[in-house]
Amino acid sequence: MREPLDLTLREQAAAIARGELDAAELLDACLKRIEERNPALNAVVATFPERSREMLGAAPAGPLHGVPVVIKDEWPLPWRAQRFGAAQMLAKTEPGESGPYRALRDAGAVIVGVGNMHELGASSTGNISVYGAAHNPWNPERCPGGSSSGPAAAVAGRLVAGAVGADGVGSIRYPAAYCGLTGLKPTFGRSAMAGHHMAGISTTIVSGALCADAADCRLLDSVLCGQGLRTGSPEGLRIGVIRDDVSEDVAPAVRDACEAAIEDLRRESGGEVREVELPELAAATLATVLIANSESLGGVTPERLNKLDPELSPIARGLLKYRMLLPAIATIKAQQLRSIARQTLAKVFEGVDLIAWPTVPAVAPPLEAPLVELPSGTLTADEANVRGGALANLTGIPAISVPVGSSEGLPIGLQLQAAWGRDELLLDAAEALERANDRRWVEAAPPSARGAEPLEA
Amino acid sequence: MEPSDNGSEFIAVGLAAYGIEADEIELAVIGAAHQTFWPPILELLELDTSQAPSEPAPDLSQAPPSR
Repeated sequence: MREPLDLTLREQAAAIARGELDAAELLDACLKRIEERNPALNAVVATFPERSREMLGAAPAGPLHGVPVVIKDEWPLPWRAQRFGAAQMLAKTEPGESGPYRALRDAGAVIVGVGNMHELGASSTGNISVYGAAHNPWNPERCPGGSSSGPAAAVAGRLVAGAVGADGVGSIRYPAAYCGLTGLKPTFGRSAMAGHHMAGISTTIVSGALCADAADCRLLDSVLCGQGLRTGSPEGLRIGVIRDDVSEDVAPAVRDACEAAIEDLRRESGGEVREVELPELAAATLATVLIANSESLGGVTPERLNKLDPELSPIARGLLKYRMLLPAIATIKAQQLRSIARQTLAKVFEGVDLIAWPTVPAVAPPLEAPLVELPSGTLTADEANVRGGALANLTGIPAISVPVGSSEGLPIGLQLQAAWGRDELLLDAAEALERANDRRWVEAAPPSARGAEPLEA
Repeated sequence: MEPSDNGSEFIAVGLAAYGIEADEIELAVIGAAHQTFWPPILELLELDTSQAPSEPAPDLSQAPPSR
């Protein structure tokens, strides 16, 4: 038997349920591993062994009974308010029972730590945080992705088998891609959101799981959604691809791996690949950013902006102030564009089951200078990544990132998107893809994770 | 009249209108953000969205009602 901490989330849960694995010993081993490995990763920014042991002592016999998980610093816990990766938040926060906390508790899970995140959730890189940047377990000099940087680094580094993140503009899928994980952004409104400081305001943010593979995501996302995401058998998948300038502006190694994976999925399901058109895609990216930014302004006053904590990064301080200058008419146009994009997508999904494109157009960039080289030139990682991540948040559809290859020793992720409520189909398709490549990419793990397969291109 | 590309004037006047102060580094960040966001915002404003479907409070958990 592999070391218990190297088992999948479902294997840990099953071993505990069968009495083959002692949950208290697993928790102790998990805390010890965090102590050993976390200094190099900075993935977990708070542990609370007594609270974790109390959770375990009171844990009901749920689907995650006794299984340790990490939760992003975006959700309050009864003993800790979220800090959102920042020295200061403009929203009021306090300790409490967030929706994801309740869902985990009621499933019998044990929250073992809080995951690092990009400051104020404002980037796809994870290179800025009040706690210091989290590091990518594949290469500690590279970005882990953001904003759910810590949850991703914690799972990829095998500190835990599952973590809860949040996705407002790609924030689960980018780190999943950078760290070689599977990450699902559920359909808007489907997963637990109560207690989030933007709950009831944000129209883009959802909670979701980051795990090694699709079956673990299915288990953890079922808990977060409060309903079983049932397994199906995807046959004859109609996979939509887009061939336009922006979609083609992808690093060659990423393009090749994703195209090979799409062909694998087509073959595995006995389906077909169809070209589809989304003429609003480029404008949809800006629309998403405008909507997400304007929704985050609720707690802002000029006076508060003049008293920002100097410990906030200059980028955060500057961007918070710049948001005040965005014209209201642009946000109205963005909302209209959202409606147009939703109509277009509804029509597209009459002809295809999935839309597939690279989650991010290049592998994880350096922490020190998060720039990526694309056929069109050098771009900031954020500019490049948001092109592929924003549409699902703008329109509400579910999306998943699945590991499908590597380049420079760093993982590559393929994004699959489906129509509203078809989260299960994404998980089914991700599992089909795993079968097609003999689970090569979901079982690969960083060299520091013992007992795992090395990553080879 | 063509849109002005004088970002620093727009930023200075805009911040002053709200009484928001910004130090040199923050102004540099704001300037960079403006360079990134403003051209596509102008393009967005040029879009004719008069035919956009009416979905004032969209239920994002579902497909839009068919037109």
